[in-house]
Amino acid sequence: MAVDRGGTRPTADRPGWSACVIAVAGFALCLFAGGAGFSLPWAPSLDLRLAFALDGLAVLYGLLATGVGALVFAYGTRYLTLHLEHQRRPAVERWRFWPWMTLFAVSMVGLATAQDLVLVFVFFDLTAVCSYFLIGFDRAEREARRSALMALLVTVVAAVAMLVAAVLLHAEHGTFAIPELLDRAEPSTTTTLAAALLAVAALAKSAQVPLHFWLPKAMAAPTPVSAYLHSAAMVAAGVLVLGRVHPLLARSEAVLTGLVVVGAASVVVGGVLALRRDVLKQVLAYSTISQYGYMVMLYGIGGAAANGAAAFYVLAHGIAKSALFMTAGAVTMATGEDRLSRLGGLGRRVPVLAVAAGAASATLAALPLTVGFFKDELLFAAAVERGPVTVVLAVVAATLTFAYIGRFWIGLFLGPARGSVGAASTLLVAPVVVLAAVAVLGGVVVEPFARLAEDAATVSAGEPVTMSPGYHLDARPENLMAVAAWALGGLLLVLPRLTDGLSRAFAAAGERFGPRRAYDGTLRALDRVSAAVHDREVRDLRGSIAAVLVPAGLLIGVAFVATPTAGAYMVGIVEGADWVILPLLALVVVATVVTARARVRLVVALALAVVGFALAALYALVGAPDVALVAVVVETMLTLVFVAALSRLPREDPDRFVPGDPVRRRRDVFAALLAGLAAFVALWGFLSQPAADSVSDEHLRLTPSAHGGDVVTVIVADFRGLDTLVEITVLLVAVVGVATLVRRGRLW
Amino acid sequence: MVRVIARLLPGPSLMFAAGLIAKGYAEVGDGFAAGVIVALAVALAYVALGAAGAEAALPALRHAPKAAVGGLLLALASGFFPLLLGDPPVTHRPGPGEHVTTIGTLELFTPLLFDLGVFLLVIGVLTVLLHHLARSREEAAR
Repeated sequence: MAVDRGGTRPTADRPGWSACVIAVAGFALCLFAGGAGFSLPWAPSLDLRLAFALDGLAVLYGLLATGVGALVFAYGTRYLTLHLEHQRRPAVERWRFWPWMTLFAVSMVGLATAQDLVLVFVFFDLTAVCSYFLIGFDRAEREARRSALMALLVTVVAAVAMLVAAVLLHAEHGTFAIPELLDRAEPSTTTTLAAALLAVAALAKSAQVPLHFWLPKAMAAPTPVSAYLHSAAMVAAGVLVLGRVHPLLARSEAVLTGLVVVGAASVVVGGVLALRRDVLKQVLAYSTISQYGYMVMLYGIGGAAANGAAAFYVLAHGIAKSALFMTAGAVTMATGEDRLSRLGGLGRRVPVLAVAAGAASATLAALPLTVGFFKDELLFAAAVERGPVTVVLAVVAATLTFAYIGRFWIGLFLGPARGSVGAASTLLVAPVVVLAAVAVLGGVVVEPFARLAEDAATVSAGEPVTMSPGYHLDARPENLMAVAAWALGGLLLVLPRLTDGLSRAFAAAGERFGPRRAYDGTLRALDRVSAAVHDREVRDLRGSIAAVLVPAGLLIGVAFVATPTAGAYMVGIVEGADWVILPLLALVVVATVVTARARVRLVVALALAVVGFALAALYALVGAPDVALVAVVVETMLTLVFVAALSRLPREDPDRFVPGDPVRRRRDVFAALLAGLAAFVALWGFLSQPAADSVSDEHLRLTPSAHGGDVVTVIVADFRGLDTLVEITVLLVAVVGVATLVRRGRLW
Repeated sequence: MVRVIARLLPGPSLMFAAGLIAKGYAEVGDGFAAGVIVALAVALAYVALGAAGAEAALPALRHAPKAAVGGLLLALASGFFPLLLGDPPVTHRPGPGEHVTTIGTLELFTPLLFDLGVFLLVIGVLTVLLHHLARSREEAAR
């Protein structure tokens, strides 16, 4: 590959900067257009609307997705260029990246603003599709492809639960509109079931135990994708849905308790596993599981305070986590290393990055003077309100966070210098600095963040929420819990052996009994079933035809036995044109038998043509000249093409005709007889008693109003015009298929 | 004799097809049948003259892919333009009960465009099909 790496600057990443500009524009929109919304009919017959509104929750997630998005995209313009250079891939591969990244941001904003449950589902899956292509961006690597598929399968399969919930709720309340659903839903079994299904979809998306295993794998993606996916997009989408339908979830105590349990489990599992990871991005990935566990727990606690805390937490975590991922990416780009054990002492060599990453880590660890302090303050307050169990859980969670993020930062920037450092690009550091500045600013002036979270929580709590985070220098429970968490976290930091065994045991147990195994096993089993079915179906053409014919024949046979037959089958009288039809039918029978018995391909083709022409003549006689005309011309064409295609086959040798396995021959005869008899019975029954008010009468009645005299033409072009459109599209696709098979895709 | 007819037949077949389309809505026939009839004339040329000969005698054939794609686009456009006016797809104009300008039996309304699209598509697709089946054989023989 002739990539010039001799110091010339690579061309500017125009698609990347376009994505960045779009994100900035979206940010401005979310900032200034709060409260706006519109609702257009989408599929009125299904009661679907394109309903969007920029309410408090939408503004919060919209700002996060576009704000963090803009910074991550700016970072990505540089990162992706370097990444492609390292892998010696052409710069044009950017076009496989940025459109998905932009769509990712757009679908996230769409998800945040959507007010219709089916629309939410669509955007929910759209983010999953984007993440699939982004995680699998390094498509030459098997691991990347596997991880992309895993993320897609886990989140999309779980998202089906959301669709089921939407249908359930629609059946009960007659609408997909979320505000109305939240109004109408009363505590009931349906509500509980729908809420649980919605929660399952959201929890899989937010990588909560036991469906968390896809997230650490997803770090196979290029770093900008990870930074975005973990902080403001994909994973945030799950929590966003929880916030969006929270009033519904709150109708069921069981669902709320379930959320607390899952959240707590995720906090512990993610936190403990994060403690001992070596790869930078893995530490952060497990940390994400744990952090979203906090938010799920808060939504499970419910009520105004917890909803406010959850919204605030999303914001603070998004800022910190994106900064930390970008730090990891910048470090890896500068040193070529991605493991804590091979890095250290970078503080003196990249001081700006060290300070900025320090601020981001402090935010995650909830130290004062960062916006993160308030996220834990609000968490503790909500936990205290709920009871002693959640208090303990909250302190454990904060302790784990402090310990693993402290280890991450200290391991990277302090200690003896390890690894050689190349030049760290400004564009890889600047976005981290901006995010760190925002985090510190929020630690001093928390008002704007608190207002955003309040507005968001007002939507998800279904009641006005007021929050007043601030520094209080007294011995209130929140402060005591924070101090306890720092102290315990510090202890874990200085005595790593305390947790070594625990973390290792967790990891081993996860390997052996974890849901990963279930996933792998299921996938393998499905693969085997699919391969077996495919094998049976493809190996034998007769088998696959019988697979259609025999069940159809059996079903008709059942219908024949089950329905009364008296008077259902009549033999009409033969008169007039019927005397011409009967010989034609006899000709059809003869030609059919010839088709079945012929041993020369050309004879088969010609006999089939005879069947076709005889039937065309029949149409003409029974008063369907249109069909007859089309049948004649098409039959001619078909015969020509058939013969032309046959001439491409290897020359046949009649002497080498193999009669085949006698059992199979008997089976074929049986299948054919069954299907033929069934079709005969069905048609006879139908013709004996034509349906009284068929749709054809309606067609005939309406034809003049479509300015037509010929009902067939009007049906094709007007009444069923959409079908025709699809069919002619298929025609073109088919010919492209022929071109691909015969001439390697050249259309002429 | 056959070769002469094969050379000349596409002209009359086009006239016949035009007739089918013109009276399509009032009587038997439509764009699909018209398209297949023209394609049959083309097929006769292929059979009688061989691929190279047919394409030399009827140079317009090389536009077949364009006809196929253009016809599909025309049909799709006439089907989906009502969306711009807020109607469901394949809502034809003028609507029921409204006046339609006619020239003889040729009615000037949107189904005509639809029919023309189908006509072009069918000619294009079938010609491309014939071309591939005939050409690849000649190439293999060489």
